Amino acid sequence: MRLNHHRAGHLLSAYLDGELSPQDAAGVQEHLLDCAACREAYERLRTTKALLGELPPAEPPAEFWAALRAPQAPPRRRTAGRAPAAPDVSIWRGLTIVRRPAWALAAILLVVALAATPLIKGTVDRLHATEIGVDLYVREHAIQMGTGPLADRAYLGLVATDADLVLVGETPRAGAAGP
Amino acid sequence: MPARALAAAAAAVLLGATADLAAPAPPAPPIDATRVVEMALEAPRLIDYEGTKVITALRGGRTETVTVAESHKRPNMMRLEYLSPEDVAGRLVVDNGTIAWHYEPRLNMAFEDQTVQQRLLGHDLTLLRRNYLLTLLGTDEVIGRQAYVIALVPRGAGVRRQLWVDRATGTVLRSEDRDPSRGVILTAYFSRVSFSLNLPEALFRFRMPAGARVFPMRTIEGDSMSPAALAKRVGFPVLIPTVLPEGYTFRGGAVSRFGSLTSVYLRYSDGGNLISFFEAPAGSIGWPAFGQPVRVGASTGRFIDLGYFRVLIWEQHGLRVTAVGTAPTETLLAVAGQIDTAREQALVRDVAHRVESDPATVRQLRGEGLTFPEIARTLVLAHQLGTDLGTTVQFVRGTLALREVAQRLGMRPEALRQTVREAVRRASAISPVVPPSGGGRPPAPLPHP
Repeated sequence: MRLNHHRAGHLLSAYLDGELSPQDAAGVQEHLLDCAACREAYERLRTTKALLGELPPAEPPAEFWAALRAPQAPPRRRTAGRAPAAPDVSIWRGLTIVRRPAWALAAILLVVALAATPLIKGTVDRLHATEIGVDLYVREHAIQMGTGPLADRAYLGLVATDADLVLVGETPRAGAAGP
Repeated sequence: MPARALAAAAAAVLLGATADLAAPAPPAPPIDATRVVEMALEAPRLIDYEGTKVITALRGGRTETVTVAESHKRPNMMRLEYLSPEDVAGRLVVDNGTIAWHYEPRLNMAFEDQTVQQRLLGHDLTLLRRNYLLTLLGTDEVIGRQAYVIALVPRGAGVRRQLWVDRATGTVLRSEDRDPSRGVILTAYFSRVSFSLNLPEALFRFRMPAGARVFPMRTIEGDSMSPAALAKRVGFPVLIPTVLPEGYTFRGGAVSRFGSLTSVYLRYSDGGNLISFFEAPAGSIGWPAFGQPVRVGASTGRFIDLGYFRVLIWEQHGLRVTAVGTAPTETLLAVAGQIDTAREQALVRDVAHRVESDPATVRQLRGEGLTFPEIARTLVLAHQLGTDLGTTVQFVRGTLALREVAQRLGMRPEALRQTVREAVRRASAISPVVPPSGGGRPPAPLPHP
């Protein structure tokens, strides 16, 4: 399946993550062979994701491990002259999650994902900007030109709507700003 | 271009058409090209119409013909329903004078934008008359109606326009845009039109189709900001064209925001055509995958010929600059090549020295978007006429006609005309080089960067 430049650009991230159907993946692969801009975008995205992958595992604070080991730890020493301290219910409530390692792992992954979101989003936005620059500017120009005396606004309206569609990721009509 | 020829062109532009000096209009003025243009500009305020228009335009290396049902309600409502070709059939543009909707039926998508028609009603004929030679070619018949035929030929390089203006209503029945190097690039004519209808307002109200996805497209902030104000708003420096084709002057600046992309938008107009400059930090936007590599000054850029529009993209001072317009390719390349941040301060000092002004004033005028030739002209004129800078800038920019300045100064227009001519000659001799005009050949190809 042959993909156009805009469609392929939108699928790059999913392609890198192996989330595409074999048909779409083949389409992206084929497009990458032909399109230098998408290759460049693909490399930038790959590098960003690789950098994220190289981040050292987040070291939890010491209290985390202490709390994790707490159930196996020997009973607390009694304080002289005082009744044994009752278990700190509030702490145990708060640490319920750490008694379930799968949940803990999921929580850590969620935190990492949230922290990385702006970085990935910024990259994706820039990739999108790469695609939309010309269309955005031609749109603004056409709209402004339509305010000029004696300009043909029916034609300029057509150009502006063509650009609108590209800006939201749709395939441009033949002959619109694009390859 | 020799300095004498340049001065003559600049003087012609500043002094404008002889109509500038004419006495107040008599009750029934004889028809001439200027009067026909005025009729065409007034028509939208006076009349409703609906008709079918056929547009043929150069688009992406081929010619495309589009048919559209066009309705207009005075003063500023518009409805466009595209009928053919198939891939635009049913597409709708509805502008109620406040909000403009673009609707794509194929995808059930609606795009909402604020209307920019207000400026249409406040158009400035002075600049058009200064920069274009307006000629009444005669009369012709269009779909059985009598029409005046006028030609608008730019005094500099650029697209010339021919209009068939309805004698009875002033509506443009037919138009033709001709590029100096490529011939006709756009024709539009009504194949059917009805006038004097009181079209219902409901026709200009957009009704959202069920399930349509709506995309707000209000990408422009501000409209008439100066480059200095824009730089403060966006936090990156703004490049101002050093020189432009004669007659083009700054008409306003804005911020364009779309997603993470923030750009500065500078508009330069000669009254009939527009060159748009968009500037964004180079890292925030990539090179398009298409277009032709070209040399811009000492670096490489990308030239894209869209047919009716031409686009030139290059990098300067850490900014990605994109110029869009119908100006000839060589003009765009020359304008781009003249923007040189390294020379900016030297030019400021040089022009200040030559016109016996201080660099701070020159810098201030640059911050208002004036090119160096405009600054030289402004300062020389202000000195010779004794006018304040604000008034002189308005005159140089064409928002103040020669007749109005003469009235303010209590001078005879003819005497003022002579003074202006001398001032322009002097200013032109001390201005930086102006880009060559004419031509429009495609740029010489470069190896892919």
